[in-house]
Amino acid sequence: MAGLQYVLKRLALMVPTFILVMIIIFLLVRLLPGDPAIAIAGDKASDADLAAIREKLGLNDPLLVQFWLFFTNTLQGDLGRSIMMRTSVSSVILERLPTTGFLALFAVTLSLLIAGPLAFVAALNRGKWPDTVIRTVFQVGLSMPVFYIGLILLTFLAAQLRWFPVGGSGDGFFGQLYYLFLPSMTVALYTSAIIMRNLRTSIIEVLDAEYVQFARAKGLPTRLILGRHVLRNALISTITLLGLSIGNLMSGTLVTETVFAVPGLGRLMLEAIFARDYPLIQGLTLTFAVLVSIVFLLTDLFQSLLDPRMRLT
Amino acid sequence: MKRNLTAAILAATTALAMPALAQERGGTLNFARYDGSRLIDPIYADRNPDIWMVGSLFDTLLRSSDDGKSIVGGLAESFEVSEDGKTVTLMLQDGLKFSDGSALDAEDVLYSLGRARNPDLGPWAGMLGNVSDVTADGNTITVSLSQPDPTILSMLATFNTAIVNKDVFDAAAGATDQEKSAAIFAAGGPGVGSGAFYMCGFEQGASMDFCANEHHWEMGADGKPLPYLDKVHFDIIPDDATRILKLQAGEVDAVEFVPFSRVAELDADPAINMNLFPSTRIIYSPINTRETRADGSANPLNDVRVRQAINYATNKDALIGLVLQGAGQPMTAPLMSSSTRLASKLDLYSYDMDKAMALVKEAGLEAGTKVTLTTLAGSSDDATIFAALQQMWAPLGIDLVVEQVDGATRGAKNRSGEFDIHTYGWVDDVNDPSQVTGWLGYSPVRSAVGTGWESAKFNELFEASGKEMDQAARAQQYAEMQDIYAEAAPLLFMYETPFAVAISTAVDGYVQTPLGANIFSRATVSK
Repeated sequence: MAGLQYVLKRLALMVPTFILVMIIIFLLVRLLPGDPAIAIAGDKASDADLAAIREKLGLNDPLLVQFWLFFTNTLQGDLGRSIMMRTSVSSVILERLPTTGFLALFAVTLSLLIAGPLAFVAALNRGKWPDTVIRTVFQVGLSMPVFYIGLILLTFLAAQLRWFPVGGSGDGFFGQLYYLFLPSMTVALYTSAIIMRNLRTSIIEVLDAEYVQFARAKGLPTRLILGRHVLRNALISTITLLGLSIGNLMSGTLVTETVFAVPGLGRLMLEAIFARDYPLIQGLTLTFAVLVSIVFLLTDLFQSLLDPRMRLT
Repeated sequence: MKRNLTAAILAATTALAMPALAQERGGTLNFARYDGSRLIDPIYADRNPDIWMVGSLFDTLLRSSDDGKSIVGGLAESFEVSEDGKTVTLMLQDGLKFSDGSALDAEDVLYSLGRARNPDLGPWAGMLGNVSDVTADGNTITVSLSQPDPTILSMLATFNTAIVNKDVFDAAAGATDQEKSAAIFAAGGPGVGSGAFYMCGFEQGASMDFCANEHHWEMGADGKPLPYLDKVHFDIIPDDATRILKLQAGEVDAVEFVPFSRVAELDADPAINMNLFPSTRIIYSPINTRETRADGSANPLNDVRVRQAINYATNKDALIGLVLQGAGQPMTAPLMSSSTRLASKLDLYSYDMDKAMALVKEAGLEAGTKVTLTTLAGSSDDATIFAALQQMWAPLGIDLVVEQVDGATRGAKNRSGEFDIHTYGWVDDVNDPSQVTGWLGYSPVRSAVGTGWESAKFNELFEASGKEMDQAARAQQYAEMQDIYAEAAPLLFMYETPFAVAISTAVDGYVQTPLGANIFSRATVSK
């Protein structure tokens, strides 16, 4: 019962967050220099054509009127019509969401699969060569821009060895696994470097904790100590970091989806910004805000499962 | 070197096989584009990725020749302009069909030209502003003009006058023409056009498919309807490097907009034909010629001598080497590319530092004068141009600083005059010099591409050329306009660039016209 109340409280807290996001994004988009009418009609359009477009899009209305329309329509589930796509914003987002969702989940899974075991190996060999090698390699990964990692993977694994396709998103579950492996791996290499460092430090701290020393003194098997005591406690801070990383990962899709020609929300956001497609930028930002809020909520819930002290706080 | 004996044998074999390949039918050509189409409708297409695809799905009454220099028949098998220049008579071919097999007749022509002329619909209606009436008698179409218009044949060969199926529009869902157009495009399928292809697949921003129109009127070398291909599949890949990797991996057959820095590398690949199609594309920089800047400060570029000086001080060959790796040529006509009709061939500010220094001295330009070059953020070409110009103009006493913005902001600055100089480019949409001349020099249109430059003589010549039916007299008017413009230098005249398209050697017959249109109807892919 207390758990349900906690979830409801967290959900209620999201409402002012979304209202704030709506106000900020509405104003920020309009602060961008550049006329959406020019972005739509092109540089060659006449002034009369531009004026007609502005009128049609309601861009001549006072800001408050524009915001009220955006706010009330959004509450009714209507995100408006995309200027550049000439269709409803929600349908464009729903069309692209599965691809970006798949990419994000795939990247997180790969990050955990890479970072988890290596963090253990590094922590258990603290100061020895495996630790040094793992940390050095990840340091290199962290210091390289995402698009550069992507291009290296594309050049060698796709263009030269032809193990993977150069771009696209694939059809069906296995098609997507195949097509989205390289973009997911690109994101995962960066994210796993952050997670690995944090998890390694946490494991080292937990290994030094008195209750672990006590468990060892009691003669408990190492596997049991690592699984029950070390991993569970070390994961608490890593879960928080993972939640934050997913927020970053959403912004990372802007670059990754462009380099790998993946038709997802990130690439759509870039196109919308360049086209000054106000409704689409607003709709996408709201979608990202909702997704990140859900991830944060799930992170908190998962943490409270791992650490009962965090419940009801 | 890669081009060894094997390559020579391969080349010889390919050459021998060419006649057979030219008529090989079937197959899919996979084409990687830099940007996707959003609405391919003759009258609503307003971006190059839309405009350049109209010709594949729709036919016009007349056509531009592949080299862009003349007008030839299209859906109309013959055409004639009356002596007074106020009537154009066109004869439609017999037995024309849309891609669903339904008849294309005069009623569709009247409907399509009616849409194209309607100023409440598309942005291109002004191009048919002199058309007062269009009538039909059987297969004979008569276009009446309110005044003689030397551009009318070019306009009837332009994408916005392409013929659509009236019945399909009548039956389409939607209250307005725009809604109907969007509904037809979203549904795809044959019937709306009579081009060599119809759209048979579309995923916004990701991919698009064109399937062969078996009812197309134009015949191939084998006496059967064009196109030779079954299908063209387009992948939208905005990133240049990824697009090229896709070609190198064999996942696509052709990529457009190859960066010039990669041209030599791809040219050396024996599996790729690196094509540089002649274009009407020019790269130039409008100069703000107003007396004061937008912030009220004095504008040093108001002085024609300073504008001429920076033109002389710009080493175009060096810029072409740096930005295009040599794949371009300096502008020789001040208002247009050399491949546009009526283009002059002038010695347009060849690099001459002595002249430049003398001009700034005469103008009394103070050392350390700050001038801002507005460039596109993220454009490596613009970054190179800025770095080069900064060096080239420093001896003149000009301290060139950069301001990086995105395309929409640059467009807004051009309109408001809030710039000193900014990078820009142009590709003709019409096979006639009037469009680019109006854009760059005729001040009532857009303050002469935002420069604020105004010449009564130039405007007078431009207006007169719009009615001049005598080709020699019109050519003289254009020559005079180009002389006036070159002297006034409201632009930094830079260079012309080709369209760089890398194509697998398995593909033959693909053409990109000087206006940019992608022509797939005669393309083949060897199996």
